[in-house]
Amino acid sequence: MAKAIHKLILLSGLLSLFHAAYSAAQHRSYLRITEQEFVSLPIDILTQGIVSLFITLYGVMNIAGDFKEIRATVDLENKSWETLRNIPSFYVFNHRGKALSPNYIPPSDEMD
Amino acid sequence: MAGRVKTKLDKSGEMLAYGEAAVRNNAAILEYCRTSMAALSGATAGLLGLTGFYGFGFYVFAVIGLWCLILFKAGAHWEKYFISRRALLTSGFFGGLFTYVLFWTFLYGMVHVY
Repeated sequence: MAKAIHKLILLSGLLSLFHAAYSAAQHRSYLRITEQEFVSLPIDILTQGIVSLFITLYGVMNIAGDFKEIRATVDLENKSWETLRNIPSFYVFNHRGKALSPNYIPPSDEMD
Repeated sequence: MAGRVKTKLDKSGEMLAYGEAAVRNNAAILEYCRTSMAALSGATAGLLGLTGFYGFGFYVFAVIGLWCLILFKAGAHWEKYFISRRALLTSGFFGGLFTYVLFWTFLYGMVHVY
């Protein structure tokens, strides 16, 4: 099932993003303890952050749904003329056509 | 029943008709993607510790990245799904920017300040 895979992709992207954030916080506290100056994050955390951002975006985009054709003709092509004049509110089921059925028992005169 | 039909005159003088329900469906998906993109890229910018113009540059980078992802998803015939490819890139740019800055500052504070 495609949906489950995309949810898995989204979840793994979010977890990876969270892991990158945790790594960055760890790096900051390491710098603070060893009293070094912060210049920039190590390249692996940078890469992990950006890559997991795109993984998550991919998952979100697939979960959001599929695009539909915007040309009106595509929508109308599948419909026949009968579909357009079909009005369910005006259906009548109790009419004399039932007399044509082989199982039809005509009402006796005493009944009515 | 078919949704309402919207028409537009093409540059070549050809009349194009769009099904409004499909257009609205695609716009809703785009809006969802764009909001998520702003929040997620803001969070990423915050955790990467970007400051100043690098952060705004990263937003532009993320917007273009999302644009590429959407065009990749739409496939070779993007005209079937979107009216304009440029509007796909630019619409909602500043609205997303505010969401971006919110998450950017939040995550920057969480990771780098505290």
